[in-house]
Amino acid sequence: MSNQQLVNQTPSFFNNPKNRSLIYQFLLLAGLSYFFYGIVTNTIANMEALGIKSGYRFLSENAGFDILMSLIPYDATYTYGRTFVVGLLNTVLVSVIGIFLSTIVGFIVGIAYFSKNWLLHKLSITYVQTFRNIPLLLQVFFWYFAVLSALPNTTDSMSIGQSVFLNVRGLYFPALVGESGSGVVYGAFTIAIIAIFVIKRWAKKRQDDTGQQFPVLLVGLGLLVGLPLLSTLVMGIPFTLDYPSLQGFNFAGGVTVIPELMALALALTVYGGAFIAEAVRAGIQSVPHGQTEAARSIALPEKRIMSLIIVPQAMRVIIPLLNSEYQSLIKNSTLATAIGYPDLFTVFVGTTLNQTGQAIEIVFMTMAAYLAINMLVSVVMNFVNDGVSLSERK
Amino acid sequence: MKEFIAKPAKPAPASIVGPVAWLRENLFSSPLNAITTLLFCAFIISIVPGLFDWFIWSADWAGTTQEACTSEGACWVFTSAWSQQLFYGSYTDGQIWRVNLCIISLFAIIYASTVVRADIRNKVIIPVFLILPFLWVILLNGSLIGLTHVSTDYWGGFALNILMAAASIIIAFPLSFLWALGRRSEMPFARSVCVLLIEFFRGVPVLALFFMGSVMLPFFFPEGWTVDKLIRVWIVLILFMSGYMAEVFRGGFQAIPQGQYEAADSIGLSYWQKNLLIILPQNIKVSMPNILATFIMLFKNTTFLLIIGIFEILSTTQTALTNSNWLGGHSTEGYVFVALLFWICCFSMSMISNSIERKLETSHRN
Repeated sequence: MSNQQLVNQTPSFFNNPKNRSLIYQFLLLAGLSYFFYGIVTNTIANMEALGIKSGYRFLSENAGFDILMSLIPYDATYTYGRTFVVGLLNTVLVSVIGIFLSTIVGFIVGIAYFSKNWLLHKLSITYVQTFRNIPLLLQVFFWYFAVLSALPNTTDSMSIGQSVFLNVRGLYFPALVGESGSGVVYGAFTIAIIAIFVIKRWAKKRQDDTGQQFPVLLVGLGLLVGLPLLSTLVMGIPFTLDYPSLQGFNFAGGVTVIPELMALALALTVYGGAFIAEAVRAGIQSVPHGQTEAARSIALPEKRIMSLIIVPQAMRVIIPLLNSEYQSLIKNSTLATAIGYPDLFTVFVGTTLNQTGQAIEIVFMTMAAYLAINMLVSVVMNFVNDGVSLSERK
Repeated sequence: MKEFIAKPAKPAPASIVGPVAWLRENLFSSPLNAITTLLFCAFIISIVPGLFDWFIWSADWAGTTQEACTSEGACWVFTSAWSQQLFYGSYTDGQIWRVNLCIISLFAIIYASTVVRADIRNKVIIPVFLILPFLWVILLNGSLIGLTHVSTDYWGGFALNILMAAASIIIAFPLSFLWALGRRSEMPFARSVCVLLIEFFRGVPVLALFFMGSVMLPFFFPEGWTVDKLIRVWIVLILFMSGYMAEVFRGGFQAIPQGQYEAADSIGLSYWQKNLLIILPQNIKVSMPNILATFIMLFKNTTFLLIIGIFEILSTTQTALTNSNWLGGHSTEGYVFVALLFWICCFSMSMISNSIERKLETSHRN
């Protein structure tokens, strides 16, 4: 056989990779279609046998049950659709608190690992190894059943200056009530945030052009505190504090944090903090020591080495890890259902599902909600990641 | 001409070795450090002795009933009286050897895989490993092999946590490798199916998946079929685990040099030969630490089964706590005991993972 013949030889129909891939994918499609067809017909038959109506009409029906805590007006006369929103907002609330606090805890513990203080270093390791290896559900139970239920009764609650109270029913602190003119203060706050972004861009451009640095952080903090403070004074302090006070056997007024929320937020903070500390440690360790030495050799002061050389490079490793930690924290917030904090899962998959029996629709909506929240987190974190990722030479 | 006068030599440091120097270097190197040290010392001294006292010195160790709980400290009589329930749930008395056999077989086969020759491992141990979960189900159920039938309602305790996690990861192994291969495949439809599967099972809370298993799956089976709740949850755990493991394998694929694929292609290996004989072993090697980390997560997540009413260890603890003979408020002891069990298991697994990582470090970096 000459070479020419070999080149001209075409593979048989089944040995042609293109045909093969088409056949395999067709088989997969056929299999999946059959699978889903089977599921759908079975589901319809089963639901008919049980007398369950399918569809989302139940969302506009009257719910008729109360929810322990709601960020928007809600009582038993609202619809099932409203219970979804109430639950979703409660999930978002506990997730935001958990993410915020666990990031702070995680960064402190993660940095403490590198402390020259031997005791601090060992404590950081102990913290991470203890809380990372105990199931979250146990930690939730621990805070809820062991710590928070041991707090004093309402009549002899712990208090700070007769304005913040802590007892077995929850944490009470004064609420900030805005009066006429408070809008100006909120406006000033928004303007300060926009101004910081503008100043940051301008300072970067100036540094690129002239090499002169501008104290963005100090000026930014000054603006963020100063502008709202100034406008508050100018408008004649348009705020009043609503203090909680003991009336009968319970507190009224102010803001109430129910113990379920406290227990869940504490557990998520402590557990998430251990994982974030590991992420921070991995990030800082990923920066080669040569970077520090190189920075010292060009005589950068020690403080600037951390902020200009180590942290930016560590962030490249930390941000993607934080992304997955935040997402798993949000997913773990579903453990609320074990202690009865009214999050999306407790309210919607728990009570609403029990009352309506619409299992398929409700589980589907809940899963979609969590997927959407996680996608949102992912988008935000990828946006942050673009800011810190390696910009190679062009 | 100026004469060079050397400065007098600095005095020698007080000491650079010994405990005093170590203290100065590591605990009191600066005023701030000294304050930190003292603060944390005070913190430890105020907490640790009390903890030990509660835990050991003034705890009750002997006895069988609540009357033995007389002292100030922990009452370990509670956990020892309930130990059978905590470990085995309400599995029929006298049949517990079956549960033990399952757990022993798991550890035996893991140990065997590390000592036997490679060809025996590939041809015998791995196939046995893959059918092990089904053998467990047959043995624990018992009706198929002539033993006393024990319904899944009675399976429980810490053994269930261990077996559930192990049974899920064993089946998830081949499935997730398939998904990870699909995600890298050049067939667009197959790839998108795999991406959807992986992202779905990773993006949804495991609790939602459990509810899917317990309230949604029954609708999917043909009329008249009843699939046991534990089996449905097992299916869900396998799928959940596969989503995570597929991502672990994807990372492994990226760590394998392109030359390995090209070398396999150049000696004319087929797609499956290439992936099973060349890529999979290397992939498992580089992903082993991550596989163990995923398994630890799965193992901790088996406690979530409590919420859908399966009698794993936390659930049996709660049952024990509400027993009318033991209403003395032993919740702290119960939860601390369970936490300790999980901590020991998870911590030793993470230590194993670390040592594997060090052992597998065959690169030339030091």
